[in-house]
Amino acid sequence: MSDTALAIMSLLATIGFYYLSKWAYLYKKVFWLAPILAAPFAVIIFVLAMDIPLDSYFKYTHFLVMMLGPATIAFALPIYQQRKIISRYPITLTLGMITGLTLGLLSSWILVQLFPMPDELANSMLTRSVSTPFAMQATVKFGGIPDLTAMLVLMTGVIGMVICEPVFKMIGVKTSLAKGAALGAASHGSGTAKAYEIGQEEGVIASLTMIFTGVAMVLGAPLFATFL
Amino acid sequence: MTSKINSVLRCLVQLAAICGLLLLCNWLVGIVNFPVPGSILGLAILVILLATKVIPESAIKTGANWLIGELLLFFVPPVISVLKYQVLLRQDGLTIVATVIIGTVIALVGTAWVVDKVFKLEKQLNQRLDRLIKGAAHV
Repeated sequence: MSDTALAIMSLLATIGFYYLSKWAYLYKKVFWLAPILAAPFAVIIFVLAMDIPLDSYFKYTHFLVMMLGPATIAFALPIYQQRKIISRYPITLTLGMITGLTLGLLSSWILVQLFPMPDELANSMLTRSVSTPFAMQATVKFGGIPDLTAMLVLMTGVIGMVICEPVFKMIGVKTSLAKGAALGAASHGSGTAKAYEIGQEEGVIASLTMIFTGVAMVLGAPLFATFL
Repeated sequence: MTSKINSVLRCLVQLAAICGLLLLCNWLVGIVNFPVPGSILGLAILVILLATKVIPESAIKTGANWLIGELLLFFVPPVISVLKYQVLLRQDGLTIVATVIIGTVIALVGTAWVVDKVFKLEKQLNQRLDRLIKGAAHV
C-alpha cells in the first residue's frame, strides 16, 4: 500500500478509535474503556497489526497534535467563566498551584536521582504532572523529549484517576476545594475529569488549578531548568 | 438540520479565529523575542478580551469548548510514538511506573493537605468579610 494511503488510514483510525472509546465510555464507565487508555491502546494495536511505519503514521496525524496550541488558548474560556470562583478563593488557588507545581517537579526530580534511568527519560519525567499542551512545551527546557513526555503525562493522569479516592480517604481530606485542587495539580486532564465525577465544584477547581499549574510550568521552566 | 449545520459552521469559524490568534501570537513572539510561548500569550490576550467585553463569550464558546472537550484526541499521536522507545520501556518499564506512582501520590497528598488547611482559613476570611460588608450596608 502506498505511503499516503497508510497515512490517511492512520488518521481515520486515530479519530475513529477515539470517538469509539468515548462513546463506549459513555455507556460503561469502567476505567479501561476511558478514551485516555482505550484510544491509544487500540491505535497502537492497529499500527502494529497493519505494520504501518511510524513516519507514515505521523504524516497526517501530526495535524491533530498541532491543535494542542489552539487548545491552550481555548482555556481562556473556563478562566473567564469561573472568574467568580477565582476572585473568591485567590489564596487557595494560588497556593494549590504553587504546591502542586513544586511537589510535581521536586518529587520527579528526587525520584529520578534515586532510580537510575537514561537522561532523556529522566528529563522527560519532570513536567509529567501538568496537562499535555503545557508539558510538551515545557519539557524541551529540561532537555526532555516531547513525545516521551506525552506518554508519561498520560500515565500520570491514569494513575491519579485510579488512586485519588483511596488516597483522599486515607489522609481524610473532605473539602471539595482540596480534592479538586489536588486532582488538577497532580493529575491534570484526567484528574479534572475525575473531579467532575465527584462533583461540579471539585471539577471547576480542578480545571482552574490544572490550567494555572500548566501555565506556571511553561513560564517557569527556563528558570527551574537552571536550578535542577 | 439547518441548526446542526449552523452550529458546525459556527464551531469551524471560531476554531479558525482561535488558530488565527495563535499564528498572530507566534509571529509576535518571534519578532520581539518575547520569552513566553505564543500559545500562552494568546491565552492571556483572550482572557483580557473576554474580561473587557471586547468580544462576547458566545463569539468563541463553541470552538473553545470543542477544543477542550477533544483535548485527548490531539495527544493520541504523541503517545503512539512509544513504539519508537520500545527498548527503553522494556528496560526501564518498572522504574518508570514506580516513579510515576510515587510522584503522583506525593503531589496529590501534599496539594490536598495544603489546600485543605488554606481553604478553611480563606473561607473564614470570606465569611468575616461578607459580614463586614453587610454590617457596613446597615450603617
